[in-house]
Amino acid sequence: MGPPKRYGSKGESKSKKRKKEEEEWAYVEEEDTNDNEGAAVVAAAARDAEKNDQNIQEDEFGAKDYRSQMSLKPDNQSRPLWVAPNGHIFLESFSPVYKHAHDFLIAISEPVCRPEHIHEYKLTAYSLYAAVSVGLQTNDIVEYLKRLSKTTVPDGIIEFIQLCTLSYGKVKLVLKHNKYFVESPFPDILQKLLKDPVIQECRLRRNLEGESEELITQVQDKKIVPSFGAKPSGSAETPAEAAPVPDDITNFYEKIDNEEDEEETNLETVSFEVNQEKIEVIQKRCIELEHPLLAEYDFRHDTHNPDINIDLRPAAVLRPYQEKSLRKMFGNGRARSGVIVLPCGAGKSLVGVTACCTVRKRALVLCNSGVSVEQWKQQFKMWSTADDSLICRFTSEAKDKPMGCAILVTTYSMITHTQRRSWEAEQTMKWLQEQEWGIMVLDEVHTIPAKMFRRVLTIVQSHCKLGLTATLLREDDKIADLNFLIGPKLYEANWLELQKRGYIARVQCAEVWCPMTPEFYREYLVCKTSKRLLLYVMNPNKFRATQFLIRYHERRGDKTIVFSDNVFALKHYAIKMNKPYIYGPTSQGERIQILQNFKFNPKVNTIFVSKVADTSFDLPEANVLIQISSHGGSRRQEAQRLGRILRAKKGAIAEEYNAFFYTLVSQDTMEMNYSRKRQRFLVNQGYSYKVITSLAGMDDEPDMMYKTREEQGQLLQQVLAASDIDCEDERVPGEGGIRPGANRKSGHMGSMSGADDAVYYEYKKNANSGNKHPLFKKFRY
Amino acid sequence: MADNGTGASSSLNSTLIKPTNLECKNLYDYLKTRTHNVLEKLYNHPTICLAVYRELPELARQYVIRILFVEQPVPQAMVASWGSQAFSKEHVYVSKVLSELCVWQEANIPGGLLGWILLPTFKRNLKVALLGGGKPWSMSSALEADSKARDVSFLDAYSLERWECVLHYMVGSQQQEGISADAVRILLHAGLMRRDEEDGSPVITRQGFQFLLLDRHAQVWHFILQYLDTVEQRGLDLVECLTFLFQLSFSTLGKDYSTEGMSSGLLIFLQHLREFGLVYQRKRKAGRFYPTRLALNITSSQNKGGITADEDTHKGYVVVETNYRVYAYTDSNLQVALIGLFTELMYRFPNLVVGVITRDSIRQALRGGITADQIIGYLRQHAHSQMIQQETKNPLPPTVVDQIKLWELERNRLTYNEGVLYSQFLSQADFNVLKEYAQSSGHLIWCNKEKRTLVINKSAHDDVKKFWKRYSKGN
Repeated sequence: MGPPKRYGSKGESKSKKRKKEEEEWAYVEEEDTNDNEGAAVVAAAARDAEKNDQNIQEDEFGAKDYRSQMSLKPDNQSRPLWVAPNGHIFLESFSPVYKHAHDFLIAISEPVCRPEHIHEYKLTAYSLYAAVSVGLQTNDIVEYLKRLSKTTVPDGIIEFIQLCTLSYGKVKLVLKHNKYFVESPFPDILQKLLKDPVIQECRLRRNLEGESEELITQVQDKKIVPSFGAKPSGSAETPAEAAPVPDDITNFYEKIDNEEDEEETNLETVSFEVNQEKIEVIQKRCIELEHPLLAEYDFRHDTHNPDINIDLRPAAVLRPYQEKSLRKMFGNGRARSGVIVLPCGAGKSLVGVTACCTVRKRALVLCNSGVSVEQWKQQFKMWSTADDSLICRFTSEAKDKPMGCAILVTTYSMITHTQRRSWEAEQTMKWLQEQEWGIMVLDEVHTIPAKMFRRVLTIVQSHCKLGLTATLLREDDKIADLNFLIGPKLYEANWLELQKRGYIARVQCAEVWCPMTPEFYREYLVCKTSKRLLLYVMNPNKFRATQFLIRYHERRGDKTIVFSDNVFALKHYAIKMNKPYIYGPTSQGERIQILQNFKFNPKVNTIFVSKVADTSFDLPEANVLIQISSHGGSRRQEAQRLGRILRAKKGAIAEEYNAFFYTLVSQDTMEMNYSRKRQRFLVNQGYSYKVITSLAGMDDEPDMMYKTREEQGQLLQQVLAASDIDCEDERVPGEGGIRPGANRKSGHMGSMSGADDAVYYEYKKNANSGNKHPLFKKFRY
Repeated sequence: MADNGTGASSSLNSTLIKPTNLECKNLYDYLKTRTHNVLEKLYNHPTICLAVYRELPELARQYVIRILFVEQPVPQAMVASWGSQAFSKEHVYVSKVLSELCVWQEANIPGGLLGWILLPTFKRNLKVALLGGGKPWSMSSALEADSKARDVSFLDAYSLERWECVLHYMVGSQQQEGISADAVRILLHAGLMRRDEEDGSPVITRQGFQFLLLDRHAQVWHFILQYLDTVEQRGLDLVECLTFLFQLSFSTLGKDYSTEGMSSGLLIFLQHLREFGLVYQRKRKAGRFYPTRLALNITSSQNKGGITADEDTHKGYVVVETNYRVYAYTDSNLQVALIGLFTELMYRFPNLVVGVITRDSIRQALRGGITADQIIGYLRQHAHSQMIQQETKNPLPPTVVDQIKLWELERNRLTYNEGVLYSQFLSQADFNVLKEYAQSSGHLIWCNKEKRTLVINKSAHDDVKKFWKRYSKGN
């Protein structure tokens, strides 16, 4: 466990090496070869501040020496941050102005790591784009950054910010009164656009007699920022302590804060109407002109689509961070598209439900499994006034009548399904395609490949999109795509802070080191095939550690979930210990039965699950998680799994920790490296892993299995006799991709035709290979 | 057939496994290695008697006080009876300490009993120290008020700067001022640095790294001890220097003292102390000097030096995060260099250094002879005030501490056995016989059937050889 290994020594090769390392680790999650990035892209979007410090000298100790680039301000004590020329920002969390700086940095940059004392952020083209789209102005960003910084801000950074923000977010595409308008507070930009012949064509002129080329000028009326549900009492801000805060910081902060709310009240905007058929043409053209159109949905003035009659129940109380994230979305009285990142168990569903209730138009909710469809329905019924007649499920198991419903809950694979459907499903799809959806909520948005997402977009028309996720990261770095297919990241919560306030459980993370038994280790060293994986997963010491931990926690009255990606191990462990298990082929009915038992039956305290339970299985009771095999070095999986036990536990405030997360690793095997890599995300969120080298009391425990050499030998025989398919992780259709190159599998004929739980799955490559930057893929063409 | 494959496989010598570590002597360790004569001379000075007395174990101090005014030897059995039987171990220990320091001596009591009696010089001078009397210090002779008196903060800054100069030199950071050839010689003598084999320039040793991680008080004391070792080669009188040092340690901070009446040797000594920052003198011939905090209480053992150490080291400046990041609020090259010993430094801002602890960076430090405890100790000692507020007991994230220790343990996972390799057996049967024999006697370390090789405990080599001879003759 721990931080990344250091490769090489010094010099500029370091960053390269680090990157390479990343690639080595990266598990191919999606084979997406149609992105010819780096060709013709919008200049600013391709910029990377990381390169700004390449020619900065290293000092004698091998650190990049920024001292010549900046000078320390005399009152640096009371200012909270440092800005490095490569876009990294370091923030003191104990500074009196932390709160101000934190909100600001979340808006303009990506958090890199947020442990206890000093947080690191990073400015990227994407994050700045997001900042602009929530209404921040270039000058404000630069000015405020200057004021917060302990030192002078390097020129390169200011340039970078200007480059990334000047042309973005100035022009909006607004749908109101069922007409599309291109709107901007900057008349000159609009004039510039109108000089373009293509755009001129798209412009819709109502008065044919060349009345004027005048733009429609209007002073926007006061917008009321919607309030979300009942406000929690006592949320009034505590007055700042007596700590010395430079006036310029507070004053400016107030200014920016107010701006966000008042921005629209007295702002003069100019706009012209656009021919509805030519929307796509103008969107494309605007990208080419480096003024991408921001889509906003003026849902209050949309009379074309009928309002639906749902509201939040009075009992639904939003937590401050939920409210903050929604305010980012509805900041100017319109709905922006974007992604909200909240840890698992922090109440993402409530945010989604509230967003739907705010827009009050037809809503489409997409999630990634049948189980979570049911859970979303539950959530809607719990938090809003919607009843069964308004909510329609559309899955392979449950197909409610869609006509006349207001909220449709379905899965990604249902929508993107390409094979023949039943007549009934066909009808529903047709209806679905005909609708103009007010809001589309995308659950666990990071899990779907960009390709699939694009398909969803071509099928469904919606005015605004809200992505919900816990971890905006993928090992293949395709997350930037998603960012821009949906919209910028609107909000990202700080895990540690939520934990401190008790919104999510306080988890003790532990890595248990299980020494390999000599026999297993010998085989492991000799073996060169994928069987190695099975050998370290089936390590008898690991089995015994699992058994011991399960017993220990059952005695405490905890509810335990055991995760194993490897099906062979999953079955073996579960059957040997006589516990229920769920994996891919388990039917929906059986799954729900097991989950219900786990929830309510005091006799079922432990279940074994494969990776199908990684996301969206809502198991609020579980508070212990044991991981015996995992998906290589996937940071996302680690975070998702942790999320299974994060839901705040009631009545356990007294204890230091109220949830436990164990990862069992076999010592001296590949697993150690994987686990180090996996933990990186959570470690950056401020979690710390305790290494347990020996479990106290395990040797005294009676009736432990695989205690004797003979038993261990038998187990080894079983492992060696296992087929190659057993050695591999479970593949969940729709998630995995193919690894590059051919995959040779040995096995008998039976496994080819679908025995052994093999699933035939077709992975199509998209032939479309335009030279488009990922930024703008959201537009279909 | 030959069993002559006695290639000693114990090529890893034991020094590799157990590196020599920096030996930190305290006052007791130092004095007990002095000869009786030197000690006796030292005890002529009440200050030294007092300092020695203070450093004695509590029980020993008790004994000394009880027999301080007793003129005849006290029977040993009687001394032993003062404490409970349960603590006889302690009694034996302090008796040894007192004898080694020549504080007391054995004496015959009429009647054939053995008794203890305090060394007369020690007794006399300790009485002076405790009760008053004796001659005034030569250096405290009256001085007119200094027209340019220096205050405590100035002295602190001065001593810090001088001392860091020495440390800077050791780290080899570039912006150092030179230090005198004498000081370099001491560093070389102490084994903290050694001459590079190629160009002869001094480079830091593993002991040197360990030295850097000590707290300031321990550093000064260790350094001075090494200096005292070389004192006689310089033609200075050890006793005189020691005496002066002890006097210094009892002097008052911020007060000036006169150099009048000091011998020429002592004046040279004073110049050396001045270089290291233990005393301040405006000019070489100023006729007065100020002791600094470094010199105060120098003789008290390390663990008690906490009071001064807190004041003279900087405020804590290191923040260690659970994600292994290290943030050091410093602009001092020395501190950066120290942090750099065990972290990979990434960025350097005007008042902050950002680094990360990695397995490799720690292993590099471990290879350099630094121990995990020293690293952790250093981080703990210099923890930023924010870290201390958080968890009252342990300012460092426990996972990081554990991990550093695990990384150290990782290096010691191999156990070494000296063994003798037997190979080139002509038949499997021969091999089996010898293997059986070695196994039954428990001397077999390792064997490989396919290659017909055995490794047998070295101590059993003769025995196995004899067996083999008998066996092959029998065939």
